[in-house]
Amino acid sequence: MKGLQIVVLGSIVPDPLQTLEPIAGPTGPALKNELMLPAVLDPWAGHALYEAASLAKKVEGKVYLVALGPKAKLQQVMMNVAQKVPFEIVVLDGPAGGFADATETAKALAGAVEKIPGLDKSKLLVFGGWQSASRGTGAVLQMVGEMLGITDQFQGVDELVLAEDGSFTVLERIEGGCYQKSACQGAPALLGWATGNLPEPPNNPQVGMQNMRLIMPALAKATPSPLKGEGLRYASVEVPSQRRDTRIVKDAPVDDIARELADWIRA
Amino acid sequence: MKVLFLAHSEADGSLGKAACEALTAAKGLGGELMVGLYGAEVQKAADQIAGCGAAKFYGVAGGEFATARYGSDASACEAMAKAAGADMIVMPSTSRASRVAAGVAQRLGAAVDTRLTGLEAADGKIVATRWFYRQRMLGKIERDARPWLVTVDSGCFAACEAAGSAAVEMLNVAPATRTTVTGVIAPAADAQTIRPDAKLLLVAGAGWGKTQPDGQKHLDDASSLILSLLAATQCSLGSSKSLVDQSGEGAALPFLTHMHQVGQTGSTPRHQKGLATCCHGEEPHVVGWRFIGERRAINLDAGCGWAQGKADVLYVADAFAVAKKLAELLK
Amino acid sequence: MTDENTSPQPEGALPEGFERQRMDVDIACVGFGPAMGGFLHTLSKGLMNEDGTPVVESKAMPGMPPQVICYERADDIGFGVSGVVTKGRGIRASFPDLDLMQIPLATEVAHEEVLYLLDPIGASRKPLALRLADKALKALGLTKDHAYALPYTPNFLRKEPGILLSMGQFNQWAGGQIMGQGVAQIWPGTPVAEPIMFDQVVAGVRLQDQGVDKRGNPEAGFMPGMDIRCQLTVVGDGPVGNVGRKLDEKLGLPLGNHAREWAVGMKMVVDLPEGCQLKEGTVLHTLGFPEPEIFGFLYVYPGNVASLGIFVPSWYDSPVRTGYRYLQHWMQHPAIWKHIKGGRMRSWGAKSLQESGRKGEPHLVGDGFARIGEGSGTTNVLTGSGFDEAWTSGVLLGVSVLELMKADKPFTRENLEQSYVRRRRDSWLEREAKAAEKARDGFQVGVVPGLIGMALTGLSEGKLFWPGASKKPHERIPSIESFFQGRITADEIAAIRRECTAKGLPLHGALMDRAGWPAINFDGQLLVSHQDALLMGGKVQAPPGYRDHVTFKNQNVCRTCDEKVCIEACSGQAIATNPEGGAPLFDREKCVHCGACIWNCSKPAPNGGESANVDFQAGAGGLHSAEN
Repeated sequence: MKGLQIVVLGSIVPDPLQTLEPIAGPTGPALKNELMLPAVLDPWAGHALYEAASLAKKVEGKVYLVALGPKAKLQQVMMNVAQKVPFEIVVLDGPAGGFADATETAKALAGAVEKIPGLDKSKLLVFGGWQSASRGTGAVLQMVGEMLGITDQFQGVDELVLAEDGSFTVLERIEGGCYQKSACQGAPALLGWATGNLPEPPNNPQVGMQNMRLIMPALAKATPSPLKGEGLRYASVEVPSQRRDTRIVKDAPVDDIARELADWIRA
Repeated sequence: MKVLFLAHSEADGSLGKAACEALTAAKGLGGELMVGLYGAEVQKAADQIAGCGAAKFYGVAGGEFATARYGSDASACEAMAKAAGADMIVMPSTSRASRVAAGVAQRLGAAVDTRLTGLEAADGKIVATRWFYRQRMLGKIERDARPWLVTVDSGCFAACEAAGSAAVEMLNVAPATRTTVTGVIAPAADAQTIRPDAKLLLVAGAGWGKTQPDGQKHLDDASSLILSLLAATQCSLGSSKSLVDQSGEGAALPFLTHMHQVGQTGSTPRHQKGLATCCHGEEPHVVGWRFIGERRAINLDAGCGWAQGKADVLYVADAFAVAKKLAELLK
Repeated sequence: MTDENTSPQPEGALPEGFERQRMDVDIACVGFGPAMGGFLHTLSKGLMNEDGTPVVESKAMPGMPPQVICYERADDIGFGVSGVVTKGRGIRASFPDLDLMQIPLATEVAHEEVLYLLDPIGASRKPLALRLADKALKALGLTKDHAYALPYTPNFLRKEPGILLSMGQFNQWAGGQIMGQGVAQIWPGTPVAEPIMFDQVVAGVRLQDQGVDKRGNPEAGFMPGMDIRCQLTVVGDGPVGNVGRKLDEKLGLPLGNHAREWAVGMKMVVDLPEGCQLKEGTVLHTLGFPEPEIFGFLYVYPGNVASLGIFVPSWYDSPVRTGYRYLQHWMQHPAIWKHIKGGRMRSWGAKSLQESGRKGEPHLVGDGFARIGEGSGTTNVLTGSGFDEAWTSGVLLGVSVLELMKADKPFTRENLEQSYVRRRRDSWLEREAKAAEKARDGFQVGVVPGLIGMALTGLSEGKLFWPGASKKPHERIPSIESFFQGRITADEIAAIRRECTAKGLPLHGALMDRAGWPAINFDGQLLVSHQDALLMGGKVQAPPGYRDHVTFKNQNVCRTCDEKVCIEACSGQAIATNPEGGAPLFDREKCVHCGACIWNCSKPAPNGGESANVDFQAGAGGLHSAEN
């Protein structure tokens, strides 16, 4: 099916290796030193983007990345992501943190998708990560889908196989390491990606150059999208105390360790 | 306050454990309880919880609702929620319910919060607990808006047991969907390594794939040792991202896929016990441990900041040797 | 300048079906640090007219604005390492309205102090003169917490009035400013393999191959590193940068110059304990402990946060010089520990510093290239200042490149000499570097002459110095046996070597224990194992698909090497003993790209020259902390 329009919804999260601590901000909880933390593209949204690019290449489609996040941080992350696959970005300058309300985020994103020039819903696939690494609700995509009138939705997707006629099959993760396989007649549809099957694409300077010609102007005209944070109140946010008194067994014979472990497992 | 417990029946018509736990959460809110069930058939499931105190049972059933599919499930849930007119709607966090929960909330104009690990009513307020930033911090949230739809994680509430016989009011729903579920792909029984109900989680870390003291990698040994432990204990297998990344079909640890990944970009499974082997790292791994009760670890570094303070026991030893002996003992 | 149709390197190595792609830009830049920040900011500011149109047109893409691309090997432009205290003259000139509040962790210098640290343990190798001085200071009651605070900070060391910065946060901020100007693109995560050279002419750079195994053989997803062709290559990749070092190898250094003095700086960013007495803006310099050659620093950022660490220099002639263990002993010195005890490590990192200063200056320009920053010899070895100097060198090149572009002059050696080099020679940068040039020569002779020499140079503003001839780094390193002569017997060293080799461990831990250094009691938050410093502090990572960037040129040489300083000095424990003998093992996932292995090798390269037997290329990954 030629001319697919694949809209990927995805934003940034703190680099997963960083230590995170909550603080009470003026408008609710926030991350300590949030501005200083290096950020990355949300990992599952990243997989969605790479899958989108791979699909678009096969069907001469076009990939849009709609991102809601602080402009300066988005710009920084794009310096890395934009080298990987070709896409056009739509920037909403607003909060990307985990404490923002999923519904408000969904409304902002759906509004931005609707405004993409030349959007043709009969050719529209909405992609995203099945959960974010920040809020982790796995709720935004479904709501965006509903707002756009898309009722063929899939979550935890690891594989999408598109047929010539535009129909496709999907593998979704379900419990116990199993997959549910579905067939859908075609666009419009929404897919929340898990890991997918593609490795992270290499950094390609030509892709970067091409993307940047559009990304910098898009960042410059980013739509301010402050979220009101209405309706959701935080009574507390804390890093749970989790320190355990670790007994360290050193210089013990392997047999003794194995026996102790066997007893513990059997108990 | 009207509370609607909304859940799907399983393939055999029963109500799953995760759903029975969510029902306990719903009951705990007080108020007038109602139940909405959907699936191929729902009577058996309704009978399973007939004595839960619900004032009303709604049902949507039929072949159209036999499988987990967004279009049909969302329509069924929407219809029952509208019929019930509830203030609070509680669903389990199964893959099937999670697929539609937020979409249903959107149709109802409801507020939504997912994957709660706590839900309490106190002093006329409802306080929900959930994790943020991949299980790194715990927040308590409140909302005034109603209806409020929530999903609750399994393993956080006791399963409700209240068998009897229930009268279910069946609703007719005609879903619009262009999707057909064509089947479930499950690993063969002997290749099944993700077992959510197992008592023990075995976490294989990157150390298994690293160069060993003799200067060589021993991936074949690692592979057979891990599999023999799995066979001996029937435990569930988890892995770190770095080990998964170097595994997969055709690689030395072919049975590891991204579905095994625990931690930052993987899952956060719940098991009574956890044994970490050859793991070393900080935050990303801590996340994977979050819901493991008793924790033990084997690695070569006594100073390992990850195991210290996070595990109950740290064995400073060669995991290859210990795993070999352990598998023999447990055979 | 060049025959564009010929290829500088044989392409036969590429597997069938793969072609090395080529992209043409106007200016390709290598390495994003303060020097490149100064260059790109200056260039961006001057390249655009008020109405947003470019002052000149791109030659690579006619009709477009000039295409300026900067490649940075680290995964983010904020992963640089350095606590910075600077007079900030260059920065303030570039940003007259600089508001430090906009840069996280930045603040004004409020108080400076130099501490001479005595040895409270008795394991330090202080020479007799210093031991006598220690005794005298104690007897006179001039010490507190085993430290003597100099009554005043000598002028040449003073940074007040000045600025405290975190290199990572500054780079993030500067990068944001530059990108916002819309002229230059900065691409992190893109290591550059080498300059593309035709004889002495630089025609661009070649990026590292991706999708290869650790030996560099193509694997799934193979993508040959692209050739970026340009009229000007700006080299600002620092002292361990691959492009700069390749140029030095090929072109040599100007007659009489050499870049032989190095140091590894290892540092932490620490949340100070509650109630810590140190005030924001405090700067402490230390000398004397844990070894007399090792200098230390502690800067207090806003928010009760400190940047602290040590420098282990190449003239500390120990074959087992390990930054990490020394850092921990230094932190526990009573004069430091009283401030930081109970604190928590937020970040950790290490970096090699080029300490030759003006004397290490390479050919600053040539046909098609210009060099800026630390790798171009900007560091002032008397004042220990490098940040401001690096930034300023970038600014000077920026102004010069604008001048040449506007005059439509090509980037030939001659034109660059007449613009950039002339400006540099006329600047304060050169004037001060000249005065500092011989400040550290005394350290070639010994630590006491070194300290006296520095003071002489500083107080006489460069007129006096203590002479000392330099050696190639690998020539300096003695055998372990001779270094520990009189303290540990050769037999004992042999036993330690056998035991550590069997366990795959470096020797320094065992040798330091034996030399009387106490074991480190890990507290899990400030005193942590070296591995935990990497994971919790440095968050070290290596993306897959790149070759090992540390290799050994002649493996037979490693087989017979008894010191293996590369292992002992590795800041990330990435280079490890091979229990089977032979060349050490390298683990890319632990490398912080400090480059210490370049100059911590006791064996000369097989092909002679200045370099040693370790080959250090540009690689992706490394530290993932933006606070260092």
